Amino acid sequence: MKTFNFNRRDFLGLTAAGLGAGALGLTPSGDAQAAPFTDYRALVCVFLFGGNDAFNMVVPRSLAEYNAYARSRQNLAIARDALLPIDPLTSDGAQYGLHPSMTALAPLFASGQLGIVANVGPLVQPVTRDQVLSRSVPLPPQLFSHNDQQDQWQTLAGRLSLKTGWAGRAADEIAVDTAAQRLPVNVTLAGTTSFQIGANSVPYAIGTEGSPAYFVLTNPQAALAAERRAMFERLLATRSASPIGRSFSAVQTRSLALADAVNGALAQAPTLRTVFPQSQLGAQLGAVARMISVRDRLAMQRQVFLVAIGGFDTHDNQNTLQPGLLGDVSNSLAAFQAGLTELGIADSVVTFTQSDFGRTLTSNGDGTDHAWGGHQLVLGNPVRGRQIYGQMPSLEIGGPDDIGGGRIVPTLGADQYAATLLRWFGLTPGQITAAAPNLANFSVRDLGFVS
Amino acid sequence: MSVASATGSVASLRGALLSSVTALLVACGGGGGDSGGVTPPPPPPPVTISRAEAAAFLRQSTFGPTTGEIDRLISQGYAGWIDQQISQTASLQAPALRALPVAATQDDRVDLWFRHAVQGPDQLRLRVAFALSQIMVVSERSGLSQFPVALAVYYDTLTQNSFGNFRELMEQVTLSPAMGVYLSHLGNQKPNTALNIRPDENFAREMMQLFTIGLVELNPDGTVRRDAQNQPISTYDQAAIENFARIYTGWMFGGSQSFAQPSFNFDQPMQAFETFHDTGAKTLLRGTTLPAGQTARADLEAALDNLFAHSNVPPFISKQLIQRLTVSNPSPAYVARVAARFENNGSGVRGDLAAVVRAILLDTEARSPAADAPGKLVEPLMRLTALWRAFDGRAASGRYRLSNADILVGQGPLRSPSVFNFYRPDYAPPGEMRAAGLVSPEMEIANEATVAYMANLLAFATFAGNSAAANPASDDILIDIRNEQQIAGNAGQLVDRVADKLLGGAISTALRNEAIAMAERSPASATAGRVAEVIHTIVTSPEYVVQR
Repeated sequence: MKTFNFNRRDFLGLTAAGLGAGALGLTPSGDAQAAPFTDYRALVCVFLFGGNDAFNMVVPRSLAEYNAYARSRQNLAIARDALLPIDPLTSDGAQYGLHPSMTALAPLFASGQLGIVANVGPLVQPVTRDQVLSRSVPLPPQLFSHNDQQDQWQTLAGRLSLKTGWAGRAADEIAVDTAAQRLPVNVTLAGTTSFQIGANSVPYAIGTEGSPAYFVLTNPQAALAAERRAMFERLLATRSASPIGRSFSAVQTRSLALADAVNGALAQAPTLRTVFPQSQLGAQLGAVARMISVRDRLAMQRQVFLVAIGGFDTHDNQNTLQPGLLGDVSNSLAAFQAGLTELGIADSVVTFTQSDFGRTLTSNGDGTDHAWGGHQLVLGNPVRGRQIYGQMPSLEIGGPDDIGGGRIVPTLGADQYAATLLRWFGLTPGQITAAAPNLANFSVRDLGFVS
Repeated sequence: MSVASATGSVASLRGALLSSVTALLVACGGGGGDSGGVTPPPPPPPVTISRAEAAAFLRQSTFGPTTGEIDRLISQGYAGWIDQQISQTASLQAPALRALPVAATQDDRVDLWFRHAVQGPDQLRLRVAFALSQIMVVSERSGLSQFPVALAVYYDTLTQNSFGNFRELMEQVTLSPAMGVYLSHLGNQKPNTALNIRPDENFAREMMQLFTIGLVELNPDGTVRRDAQNQPISTYDQAAIENFARIYTGWMFGGSQSFAQPSFNFDQPMQAFETFHDTGAKTLLRGTTLPAGQTARADLEAALDNLFAHSNVPPFISKQLIQRLTVSNPSPAYVARVAARFENNGSGVRGDLAAVVRAILLDTEARSPAADAPGKLVEPLMRLTALWRAFDGRAASGRYRLSNADILVGQGPLRSPSVFNFYRPDYAPPGEMRAAGLVSPEMEIANEATVAYMANLLAFATFAGNSAAANPASDDILIDIRNEQQIAGNAGQLVDRVADKLLGGAISTALRNEAIAMAERSPASATAGRVAEVIHTIVTSPEYVVQR
């Protein structure tokens, strides 16, 4: 007798265990979608934890701009002839290239599936270097601090005291429209973050192999499995005197209730020919592709996935570390896009990066320190690619965008970035404003990088 | 066939668990609150200690109660037990790793961590060291991945200073080569303006933000101070970071021939090379200035004194130690009582960690919590160690070979994803707790995936990893259930015995009845199966996951 067995159970036998988002206590706020969704759309957030040095990810190639970059970057500058040339449809007069490790993504820029959003960061409102230095306008709190700026990207809180994230609020806004989904809108492979927490919606966490099955509770071959499961569920349903106990029970209950449904669906997933990198990011994106492939089995119409890769806090050994980090991002994103194409769903998925902050143009010897603005990547068939959106900053130390030490003030706000993605996702203007609370302070509310 | 003998090998579970590693990268924000008055110290705890009270105390002060430790605590009293624990010799990792016949691996280091946590006599010291390792974080998941002994040396530094002075701990942490590599102040040098090179700000920033004072000014009770506009007041600005970054210049591995020829010696503190130290004048916090021309060591001592004297240190560190040991949501008064001991141990000494630990554990809020107090979610690693301590779980080889299963449940010794630890002290779970302004740091890593892995690990450790297992491998960790098998015919008696070992008998009637019912679903002759059912029912119950 095999007591412990991770075999996935047949999806059809498990529908009774399904738990739709409706069971999670959703209360829509205001501006509901006029009509239910008729299609499937997914946003995939790739969070680069630690603060990606984006000024070495997209680098000027034209001589004057490259020389300014090289003067600032000194021993951390990428060699000009090593850059992978990109050729945007619209030129700002300079030429640019990608980090040499990003060979897999460069062709996707050329094919129009990859776009670059230049010098974006958390902002309360548009701001100039002089306004920052004179402290004459409100700024996000605790600039240059990892967790605070991660939080800013995830919550768009600005100076507000917000306990929810923008994907969480987006999920709240479309709660009614997604009530038939068997999973919450937000799925994470990178732990619980503010990004996906709403007032009423919570993210659902899976592992790279799907949802871990509770093998002594759910394996039909295990003696007493059904009795154990009933016992386990009765104890979970018993109200704990401690709110921490109640919080834990809610997670464990959801975990048990959804594991079989998710794994049952994943057992039916088509086998992808696309090979994903062996990295953690590659594995996470592979899992996202598989989840997307079974979207109909789980009645999903709108999903936000979070995946992540750490290690970008390159205070040290930046020249050694960067090729591996950016190479992994490039290879994993390119594989993911290939996987989506193979699944025939590439028209319905947009992948985008976020990161704590950009890094100083100045060097600390062999690395860089915490700064502010940086570039982000947007990928997918719906992306109007082969473009650089926004304005490339001056990379001069002491230049018009430097607030000191080569810390670049962003020209675009994270709210504008999020709003552009959420408009494509299907939110109404009112819903977008609810998700991106500082958007009203910006005149441009759609950066145009998604069709 | 009994369940316990039909469970496959530990190795097969390990393989299944390891097939899926979840990334656990975290972030959050929060904080705030109003100040409360400092009240006089609470009355001394009651003299007689019940087994349930003893177990509750040991869940806060050790890696899990054992029958022997419950007995000892009852006989010695809380204060006596703490004194006896403080006098215990520290269980150290590095000497044991160096004594291995082959080069130590990270698995060897984690194995030792578990050996000490499960079997070490210096439980309180080790528990405090583990708490400190989650405040002054150094992680294997970094450039230190190939240096297990360096991490062990760092951990030993924490263990040896668990009851020492916080100022000394600050210095040893600052000069630790493992920390120097992790936060990149090892090799940090004075500026070179011609090359746009300025000192590395990494350690300077995190030393303040995470290890000593935090981002915003605090009241003595740990609540946030606010200015006239009701805004929090930053403890430092970017300029302060840049000044401190210049302090931490000129340090290299101890015993290096020169700054450019590192010794890679992780066994001794870093050493100053004055040529690479920034000797300019520096401005510290609260307007303190250091003159030009000081040595690296003199600058360092002055900077650490400057941080140590900051009024945030007592509440900032005390509150986090409270959260690691006793409760997630201490009242401001509890924080204030402990912070007062941090400020002055009663003999005029600031930073006496032994006095701080005593104050944390003996406080009325830890000893006599309200019936609906939130308590603290047991950390994932301690769900494992508690089971193995209660039932003397060990392998024939003596090892605790978990490979990387600890990471699956969100936590591993010195395996944090970043310097921000496995979770943030102010993480508020969504829903009721967030709305009520309550936090549960450990809930940040309790998601649908990790709680399932944890339940599976515990299921395996009870059903398969017990002394009735047939043909165990030498590395299979087995709990000893032979005594419980003797009484398995009487389910009520069996449940009471198990509950006594795990909780000093403190389980609810509902849980007790469920455990009895599970036992009785197996025939009385299936003794191992009955015992495993009972242990599994209790250790996976939501009731057991919250320590109060």
